[in-house]
Amino acid sequence: MAPSSKMKDQVAIVGIGATPYTRAMVATPLALGLEAAKLAIHDAGIDRRDINGICGGSTEIRRGGPGHMAVQEGLGLGEITWCLDASLGACVIHTAQAIFAGACDTALVVQAYMRYTFMSASARNDLFLGRAGDAGATGASRQTVGGDLAERWAGTAESYAAWGQRYMHEYEAPREVLGMIAVNNRTNAARNEAAALRTPITMDEYLNARMIREPLGLLDCDYPVNCAEAMVLTTAERARDLARKPVYIHASSFGQTASGSSYYEGARSWTATAPWVAMRAMWPRSDIQIDDIDLFFPYDGFTPIALAWTEAAGFCKPGEAYDLYRSSWLEDENRLKLGGRTYMSTNGGSMSHGRMGGFNYFTESVKQLRGEAGDHQVPGVKTSLLGIGSYYHDPIATVLRAA
Amino acid sequence: MATTKITDEEVLSRYPAVLINRDNLEHYRGLLQRKLLINRCQDCGRWVRPHWPSCPNCWSTNVRPTEVSGKGTLYMFSLVHQGAPIPDHDFSTPVPIVTVELAEQEGLRYLSTMVDTPNEALYIGMPVRLVWTERDGNPAPAFRQAGA
Repeated sequence: MAPSSKMKDQVAIVGIGATPYTRAMVATPLALGLEAAKLAIHDAGIDRRDINGICGGSTEIRRGGPGHMAVQEGLGLGEITWCLDASLGACVIHTAQAIFAGACDTALVVQAYMRYTFMSASARNDLFLGRAGDAGATGASRQTVGGDLAERWAGTAESYAAWGQRYMHEYEAPREVLGMIAVNNRTNAARNEAAALRTPITMDEYLNARMIREPLGLLDCDYPVNCAEAMVLTTAERARDLARKPVYIHASSFGQTASGSSYYEGARSWTATAPWVAMRAMWPRSDIQIDDIDLFFPYDGFTPIALAWTEAAGFCKPGEAYDLYRSSWLEDENRLKLGGRTYMSTNGGSMSHGRMGGFNYFTESVKQLRGEAGDHQVPGVKTSLLGIGSYYHDPIATVLRAA
Repeated sequence: MATTKITDEEVLSRYPAVLINRDNLEHYRGLLQRKLLINRCQDCGRWVRPHWPSCPNCWSTNVRPTEVSGKGTLYMFSLVHQGAPIPDHDFSTPVPIVTVELAEQEGLRYLSTMVDTPNEALYIGMPVRLVWTERDGNPAPAFRQAGA
């Protein structure tokens, strides 16, 4: 197949910026990256609020480099609808493709490098290069759990527990709002022969499960497993010639807010987190709207995350999920059907199908939309809404549709 | 309290598991002196977290680590029954990990733990104040109920 030339002359570089190159580590890679970014933005003559795409990176992310989240927050940028960490030449082309694809209008590419200690004996003698090198060697990062309690939440899941607590306080909701997600997902897993946990649970069992990090207990958490899944994607044109019934990516967006680089407690509020950004940016790109959605897959690393995705998607207003879930509960099936129309997490989710980072929501959607979900097939489904990701970094909202 | 300056090398050796760098060095030197220092932009006045080397609001590089008052309220928290280890704590009683919203600025948050305050007494909105304990051989910030 000949390479496409649709992109020719369609993307331009309009600003550049660079810091001095030094042997000594006079500033962190992040500080250098931010400085270069500001210079490029000034060179381009644009307002920082025009930027809605970021590619951050180089290999220094783990050592405090200018990853896309740090760039967003350190520059006080607005909402971002396309983001990536990449390096070498790829970072520029990914960014160009994203602009050509319409994922963002104006994108910043930032890269920073440092002198590695293994490259140079004299680098080893630089106090800060040495510590950064040690951190790289041990796998520690600026978000180390042991060294500083104040940095703990980037390396543990406790922030989701606290946000769940904050939600229940602000909106006067009981733990049952989270429990209904857990029971729904387990019910669906019981129907899915591929699921790891298939024994149904009751609300009583959910409420009395062993407490892990209050208010979250054992049945609020995803289920670690060893597994792998894969997908092949191609153009719609080529897909028409292939054997399987295509499932199209109809609309999508990333979402990110300036709250999650390393201090996850810093999000302004329950609704100022990434799922809201992703959904808000995705819906205008979609001909299919929420009333047309047959299946919904909200990421359930922990129950409060699925709760946030439910509200961010627009199935209900913030704080109203308990009312929604109660009015959507099917007693005879022991699971949710949102608004009487939309089944949720038909594979059982991360909590009961198994922890695959939400990737299994994609493959479950494909099975359902092809009509190949066997015993747990929902008849006649044609559209699927996925919200996959954390409150903080790289979440996506997407609508998939059957051919 | 020592009056001699704590050297950079000492800060690094006292926090072997933390990626100390030029952006956060003064914050950790402050902790060793029982001071909670948070960057404050000298041009626009915003308090800046985490330890960004410049101000996200006005882009000035004139940010200075500044001591906070130590006053705040509990924004949210989790009582941890099991989890990543915390020096000098076991989980025989759940450990409160709290987000304090510091009085200096709305949305300025700091993660810490509580002392001298029973878990059952904690509530969102509780006024708290900074105190100093010890963790892993270093001075460590913690909070207790204000006025108690």
